[in-house]
Parts: sequence; C-alpha cells; structure tokens
Amino acid sequence: MYLRIAAQYVLVLIVTLSINFALPRIAPGSPLLYLVGEDVATMTQAEQDQVLREFKLDRPIVEQFVNYAVGIVQGDLGVSVRYGMPVWDVLLDHLPWTLLLMGTSLLLSASAGTVIGVFAAWKQGGKHDIGALTLVLFLGSIPPFWVAMLLITFFSAQLGWLPSYGAYAIGVASGTPEYYVEVVRRMIMPISALALVNTGNMFLTARSSMAMALEEDYIMLAHAKGLRELTVVFKHGFRNALLPIYTNVMVSMGHLIGGAMVIETVFSYPGLGSTIYDSVLARDYNLLQGAFLLVTISVLAANFIADMGYPLLDPRVRRPGVSA
Amino acid sequence: MALAIKHSLATSLNTSHGRLRLVGILILTVFILAAIFAPLTTPYEPSARVCPSFQTPNSEHLLGCNDVGHDLFTEIVYGARVSLTIGVVVAIITTLIATIVALVSGFVGGWVDQFFMRIVDVVMAIPFLPLVIVLGVFLGAGLTTQVLVISLVMWAHPARELRSQVLAIRESGYVESSLAMGASQFTVMLRHILPEITPLIVPQFVRVAHNAILIEAALSFLGLGDPIQKSWGGILFYANARAAFLTGAWSYWVMPPGICIALVVVAFAFIGYSLGGKSGQIYYPFGSFTLKRRPSIDTGGANGRRLQIEQLTTLYSSSNETIKAVDEVNLGLHDCEIVGIVGESGSGKSTVAMSVLGLLKYPAAIASGRIYLGQVDLLDLDKPSLQQVRGKRLAFIPQSAMNTLNPVMTICDQVQEAILQQRDLNRDAAEERALKLLSMVELPDERAQAYPHELSGGMRQRVVTAIALANEPEVIIADEPTTGLDVLVQKEIIGLLIDLQRRLGISVMFITHDLPLVSSFADRMAVMYQGQIVDIDTPQQLARSADHAHTRDLFENFPRLQAPKRWQRSDANGNTMRELAPLLQLTNVSKTFHSRRRLDFKPVAPIRAVNQVSFKIFAGEVVGLIGGSGSGKTTLARLMMGLIDVDEGEISFDRREMHNLVRAERRAMLKDVHMVFQDPYQSMRNGMRVRDIVAEPLRIHGLRDAAEIEQRVTTALGEVQLPQSRQFLARRISELSGGQRQRVAFARAVVTNPRLIIADEPTSMLDVSLRMGLLQLMESLRANHNVGYLFITHDLALARHFCDRLVVLQHGTVVESGRTEQVIHQPAHPYTRALVNAVVDPAFTEPELAQQA
Repeated sequence: MYLRIAAQYVLVLIVTLSINFALPRIAPGSPLLYLVGEDVATMTQAEQDQVLREFKLDRPIVEQFVNYAVGIVQGDLGVSVRYGMPVWDVLLDHLPWTLLLMGTSLLLSASAGTVIGVFAAWKQGGKHDIGALTLVLFLGSIPPFWVAMLLITFFSAQLGWLPSYGAYAIGVASGTPEYYVEVVRRMIMPISALALVNTGNMFLTARSSMAMALEEDYIMLAHAKGLRELTVVFKHGFRNALLPIYTNVMVSMGHLIGGAMVIETVFSYPGLGSTIYDSVLARDYNLLQGAFLLVTISVLAANFIADMGYPLLDPRVRRPGVSA
Repeated sequence: MALAIKHSLATSLNTSHGRLRLVGILILTVFILAAIFAPLTTPYEPSARVCPSFQTPNSEHLLGCNDVGHDLFTEIVYGARVSLTIGVVVAIITTLIATIVALVSGFVGGWVDQFFMRIVDVVMAIPFLPLVIVLGVFLGAGLTTQVLVISLVMWAHPARELRSQVLAIRESGYVESSLAMGASQFTVMLRHILPEITPLIVPQFVRVAHNAILIEAALSFLGLGDPIQKSWGGILFYANARAAFLTGAWSYWVMPPGICIALVVVAFAFIGYSLGGKSGQIYYPFGSFTLKRRPSIDTGGANGRRLQIEQLTTLYSSSNETIKAVDEVNLGLHDCEIVGIVGESGSGKSTVAMSVLGLLKYPAAIASGRIYLGQVDLLDLDKPSLQQVRGKRLAFIPQSAMNTLNPVMTICDQVQEAILQQRDLNRDAAEERALKLLSMVELPDERAQAYPHELSGGMRQRVVTAIALANEPEVIIADEPTTGLDVLVQKEIIGLLIDLQRRLGISVMFITHDLPLVSSFADRMAVMYQGQIVDIDTPQQLARSADHAHTRDLFENFPRLQAPKRWQRSDANGNTMRELAPLLQLTNVSKTFHSRRRLDFKPVAPIRAVNQVSFKIFAGEVVGLIGGSGSGKTTLARLMMGLIDVDEGEISFDRREMHNLVRAERRAMLKDVHMVFQDPYQSMRNGMRVRDIVAEPLRIHGLRDAAEIEQRVTTALGEVQLPQSRQFLARRISELSGGQRQRVAFARAVVTNPRLIIADEPTSMLDVSLRMGLLQLMESLRANHNVGYLFITHDLALARHFCDRLVVLQHGTVVESGRTEQVIHQPAHPYTRALVNAVVDPAFTEPELAQQA
C-alpha cells in the first residue's frame, strides 16, 4: 500500500514538472518571452541566439528536460524577473505566511464544520438540521474573495477596526509583543473569510458520514446494550464517522490552498498566493512556475502525512483481516 | 426486501429535498431568462459610456456606474451570459469526457482502467486553482482558455465517481446473466450499463456547473478573464483594482455581482444536493412513538410471565398509505421458555422484535398496545429507565453479526462495555468477566483482542451472543441470529445458544423464517402472517393439526429428509440415458484465483477455488451440486457458462470441448445452456419490461423479427404459467413479486429451448410457500422438453427430493458423488455425513431437545 502511495506521488511530481517544462515551449510566442520578459522585443537576433545558447534551449528536448529536472532537484528554479533574486529565495520568504493562513483556517473550519455537521446528523430532519444545511450550502456558494471584500468594507473602511493590508505592521520591530498583536489583527479577516467558506464543505462531509454511521447496525446493538445516548453517538457513531471526515480534511488541502491564494490578493497578504498573483501581473514566468511547483509539493506533503496517520484511526488498515 | 420497501417509504416522506430543488430551479430560471433576453432587459450597451464615472444609483442607472461610465446593471445582466455560458459549457464538456472515460475504463478494465485511473489520480492530486492559473497565464486570457483549463481540471472527479458506478453495475446480477446468455461486452454496455448510468450523470453535471462558475469567478477576479466580455468575476476584478470596497461604491459595484454569483451557485448546490444527496432517515434513538403517555391501569403486569405483549399494533406510515406491520399481536413468554416466531418476509416478525426493544426506525411507530417485562410496561418507561432495562433485563442478538459489531473497537472492549454499563465493576474485573463470557461462547482466548474484521462470520455471531449474555438477562430477543451462516456453523451456534439458555434460565424469543430449524428446539412456535399471529402452539402440535391454512402450507412445503422422495424419475429411463453421450462433461477442471493487485507486494496465497472436478450430466437428468458457502459451487457454475476461463482440465458440451470453440461457436452454445441465478431481484434490471427481459436471449442470438419474438415470448410465459396478456408483457419487472420474478427468469431460460439449465439456488430467495411451486414448474419443463438440470444448492433435503444424482463439493473438491438415495442414506465421506446430520426434520426428529423443558 505504501509503495502504491509513493509511486503515486512520484507520478504527480513528474507530471507537474512536465507541465512546467512544456508550457513555455508550447505556449504561443517565443520561449524567450518567458525567460527574460518583455525585454525580448528590443533584442537583436544575435542577442536572442546568444540567450538561447546560454539557457541551452538549442539542445535536444530530452537533454533540456534532464537538465531542467536536475536543476530543480538542486534547488535551482531560475531567477525572478520581478524581484531580481532567485525564485527559491522569494518563495521561502512567502511560504510561512501562507502556511499560517492555511493551517489556522483549516483547523477552524474543520473543527467547526465537524461539530455542527455531527450535531446536524444527530438531530437529522429537524428544524435545526435543515436550517444548518441551507445556511451551509449558501455559505459554500459565496466566492471567498467576495466575502473578503465585504469584510474589508465593513471592518476596515466603515468601522476602522482592523487593518486591511499586509501581514504585519511596517515599522514595528519583529519579535516585540506589538508585532505579534499586529500579526494577529491582520490574520483575523483573511482567516475568517477562508474558514467561513470552507466550513460548508467540512459540514457536508461530517453530516453525511455521521448520518451513515448512525444508520449502521452496530448503533442498534449499542442501543440494545443499554448504553447512554451520548456514548452511542460519540463512542460508536462519531468514532466511525471520523474516518471519512479525516480523509476529507486531507483532500481539501488542495482546494484550500486555491482559496487562500485568491484571498491573499484581496488583503495583499505576502503569502504564496500574492506571489502568484504578482507574477501573473508582471508575467514573471519563473516565479509562477516555481510557486506552482512548491504548492504542489506542499499539498503532496500534507497528503503524505495524512496517509501515514490513517492506520492509527482504522484498525482495518492497520491489521488487514483474514476475511477482507 | 421488506426493509428496502420500508426504507423507500421513509425517504419519500422527506420533502425538504423537494423544496430545496424547487427553489434552485426557480432561481436558475430567472437568471437564465435574464441572460437570454439581456438586450431587452437593459436599455444600454454593456461597453457604452452612458454616464459619468462613479455615478451613484438613480432611476436611470439602477445600480449606478463604474469608473469609466459603464452602466453596472447592464454589465451584470450581460455578465450573467458569460458566467452561465462558461458554467454550462464546462459542465457539458466535462460530463461528456467523464462519462466516456468512466464507461471505457470501468467496462474494459485491465490496463486501460489502470491507465485512466492513474491520470485521474494525478489530476486530482495537483492543486487545481494554481494549475488553472498557470495554464491560463501561458495560454492567454479569454473565454476559450477558461473553458479549456477549467474542463481540464474538472473532469477527473466525475469520471472517478461514474466509473465506480459502472463497476458496481458491471458486477450486478443482470449484467452477469446477460453475459451468461452470450451477449457481447458492447451489447451489455449499450443495453444495460448506459440506461442505468444516465440518471447518475445529472447530479455530476450540476456539481460541475456549480464548481465551474466559482472557479471562473476566481480566475476572472485574478485578471485572467476575457477583458471585453466581462463575467461577474471580471466586474469584481475591476472593482477590486479600483479599490471600490474602500469607497462608497461598494454598495452598488461590489455587492450585486457577488450576490449574483452566490445565488446562481447556491441554486446549483440546492439542485445538486437534492439529486445526489442521500435523503436522510430520521434518527430516533428510542424508537418512534405516536403513542401518548397514558395513565397506568393496573392490569396485573405480565400475569406471571416474563414478557407479555398485549394488543401490540405497529404502523408504517407514509404520506399516501399506512401499513399495519404488526396487527394487535398478543404473546407471552414463560420462564426459561423458547418461543419461535416464524413467518415469511414482510409478515411483521422483525417489527415485533424491534417494537419490544424500542428500536423501531422511522417511519415505523407503535400505535397501541402494552409490553410488560415483569411488572413494568416498557412503553411507559422514560429514556433513563429504558436504558437500564436494555442489555440488563432484556437483551438482543441481531442478524448478520457482520455489521453489528463496531469495526474500530476490539471485541473484548465491546463485551466489556456492555458489562460496565449495567454493573458497578472496575475495569479489571469487567475485563475478566468479558474474557469469561468469550470463553463461555467458545471463542479462543487469543482472539479476545481481535477486531471484528479479523473474525469469521461464526465467531462474530458468538461475540454478539456473549454481549447479549453479559448481564444474565431475563429475556433475549434473537432476530434471525444464524441466517447467512454456513449450515454446519449454524448448527453449532444454535446448540451453544440453547445450552446457555438452559443453564442460565433465560427466556428466548427466536425470530426466523426457517421453520424446520426453529421447530427442532422451540418450546412453542408462533406463526405470523400479514402482521398477525395466526397460530401458536408446540411444534409437534402445529405439525399435526394447525388451525390456519398458512401454517399448514408452511409445514407441508418444506422438504423432509426422511419422507418418500417426491420426484421419482423412472430408473429404466435413466439406464437408457447412460448409453448416450453425456450432455455436459467436466474432466479434472481446476481454477485458481490469484491476488489481483500488482503493486501490492504482500504475499497473498492463491486460492484454489475448484480442484480437479469431474462429473457428467445427461439429457433430461437432474444433478444436484451440494456444498456449504465457499465450497466453489458458484465458481464452477461460472466456469461452465464461460464467464471465467478454466485453468486446467476441460469442459465439453455435447462432445465439443469449450476451450476449442471460437467466440461465435461459444455464443451459439450458450443458446443451449442457460443459467438461472439465485436472486430474482438482481438478475433482471429493474427498469425493464417483462417482454424485453424474456426476449433478451432471442435478441442476443440475432432474432430480429418482432412478430416471432412476441410469439415465442408469449409461449415461454405460458410454459411458466404466467399471464400472456399484452398488459403483462408491458409491465415493469419491478412491479412483480419475488415468485413472479423467478418465473420470469425461467421464461427467459426456456425461450431459446435450451438443453441444459444451470440453476444456482433458484429457490433460496423465495418464501417457503413458493418454493414447491417453482420446483414443480422446473420438473414440468424437464418432462416436456427433456431439459437437463444442474441444481446448485446448500439445502440437502431439497436436493434429495429434486435430484437424481448428487455431487458433494467441499473446498473446491468433489468429496462424494452418486445416486441421491445412496449419498443421503449411506454417506461415505465425513463431510456428507455432517451435512446430512445438520438437516433438521421436525416431524420425525423425536424432540430430545424440545421436551426437556
């Protein structure tokens, strides 16, 4: 099983690399455009050939790919045109902020969605359940960036409570208590926007997993044993519903990072999302590809950790049975 | 089956789904109409400068204007065109790709499937928004790019969902029977899989449209939309770029597009949820009561009985009808007594059990009656008191222990939990007692820390029994506790249960459809029919003289091992048959299954399902293939039908070896050999009409003449004694009862005039009262057309009456074969002897067990 997962990851990486490698070469326009930016228009033919040789773009395609892959393994993602520094360094500067946003909002939305979903399933068909369901379907239908714009409108522009810009206060020394207060103040809105919208997804999974668990025969037997209602619902129902919920959290990592990217642009939050947005505006192709690769690797890493944790939750995976 | 009907009743009651869908459709219609008639609903051109920058809303410009003087209301209405078009176009492309991939992948299987599924995995593992952005940037902004890239990332999920549906359908009984009739893969795909998958495509379509509109909004918001034809996301992009949300413009520039997106998406979400979402049951932990609390009238409690049910009525109510599942039932249980409740499916026997336990599921509800346990009426108890009764005084042994144990707890913990709930013990003492209980049900000590999936079905049933005994209850209610277990295991479990019941002095209500089984040990037996108890007495008395016709029916209709053989076919005829060549001959046939996963390096021992099997069937002869579950009976049938290939040995039909036949010859051969499957609810697709089902083999074998098809179908229906009217031919199979369905299955078998019918447990899913009728039908087909039968069954008594010769199979090997009387009366192999001994024959077994009480 582990071998299968590992093979899967390698395959995803190869495909991601191939997309990155192939795009500048098959997209309309000269690959030079993607290497040196708009300056290519002012270059002479001799200069262009010079650059092509420099970047070994005149070599056979296979050799180019090998060189490219080797470069990436060595941490060479090229130079960012916009920042004028190695792409890798730019990304490392921004990654922690995205992780902070993602991690916190995932934690919030997963726990809120699970709690509400489990209770909705328990009180299935009741007024509260239908209400929660409708509300959640509606929340999940709102574009996250729009929620972000509204939050800024109210809490920054109208009420003036929270700053709408950046991740930390400029001019406040890093490490001081004020610095952290400012960081937290600037986290509140992006995280709320993300968590609000993602809670829906978590709620739906939690509700349907829990509803399914509650219909199982072992719940009936648990009642027949005379167990208290709470014991039945949590020890038997929720414990089993946890498995699909956990899987969903792991799968939603990829979706969440997409949401985080758009949110960051609204708040000019200095994470990977803003980096990608900036590189889109500046047509900074190296940076864009590097960010894409890094995001993919992060998602794979998160999935890997989740996969490794799964056997702890499910004895059927931990100890495959005789009659499987 | 009864449960399925109850379930569908329950779900149709839940109308909140219907309401959600209606709201969704309404919202969508408004937006679609507005988008289509955009030029009529708006007075301006979307790209015309018609007012000053940042004009606030007024009567001429409902939503004001943006920074360059475009009318925002106009932009929104035209934006609907872009957003909806992208959503719908992407949904069409995506569902189309997904359906094709799912059909090809799911049906062709093998490396094609592996290949597609790896691609799906990869697409799903890459975070899709970054991928879409990267692709969008390189391919240039525009509508086509958006449609292309969004489709590219979105087809994978529906493809995987639909593929798993295709796989499920492919495994279904009706596909297998179609293949067994000689249909080609392509025919099956067209005739069965496509019609079955179509309704499942719609929710996928809705879901994709829902996501596509959200992704499009995000892309356009990042500036990757078409700069000329602005979608809602595009409008927000410009609003964001001009920081409209920091100025007063937010109310008319930022709010409306966002609300539009949210409304359209939520409309899709509502529709999608109502189509694809599982409509929930209502969860009632204490059973549902329509009964009001009543003042307690002293009727003397249970009248000295342990358990006394008085005038119990339980209803299943739906919006259009109310079914009396239990109709004024009275029943008492004495000390240390076993009362069997026997009945066919739908007779209400399980509902009685659930009513007593307070475990009825919605929409079943007790309407009236009293259930006394000792002096208390269980229906008067509040929740905490009921919890103290359950598991302590009143215990439950459920059916199919497969699903009744919690899969993530060790069995020792589950037994221990039952003890701790009702007794004031510390953990160590409780564990000690749990281990004692497990050894009492003869479960090996070393299995105590096992999880349920690590145990066999029989062992799980023992665990469930241990849980029931945990607190030495006064009454145990056992609902089909051994159904689905192998005959020999079943006998062990029953023996154990009776032994413990006698030792501990427990009263047992034993619910079953198996009359011979329960009459061998019950003190009294209650026969249920249409919700009522029609007879109650000792088994001996009932066997001798029952009041109700249904009871007599039940007793007469099960085969007895000792009674004279019912179908005695002339021996002389048999002898002449021997001189002819056999119709079907198996010579040293073997089949081994290997683990399928190639990337999985764990050594899984290959399973030898069929091992060196040889036997013959002559024309007009009935051969019984006997064996317990897992003995290889069904694999053998599949080998004979060519559904799977033989590893070693050969199967020849009419002196022609099957593996030498080319595909066309093999298909022609399947005209002469037909297989009837065990479950008539699965071997025919529910949406089909009787005519098409019976005509299927004719069409597979190339008959196109409608008049001849009609005529042969009608004749076949006559042979199986079903109506031949046009109305009946046009009826959907789902409207027929189980007995009628199995007759249709036989009509489908005889329509091509086969020479051999392989019948895989054809009567086991039918109620007892229908079984004899079906066997008589099979016999008349045999007599009229000289059809040979291979009769596969685990029911030795039935086989004894119906078969001329028997072949006994154990672990894939033939352990004994010979003439029926000889195998039954002088069994040579210990396994055959065990099987013969396991048959209970109530009228003749002198009741050693039953009379002890």
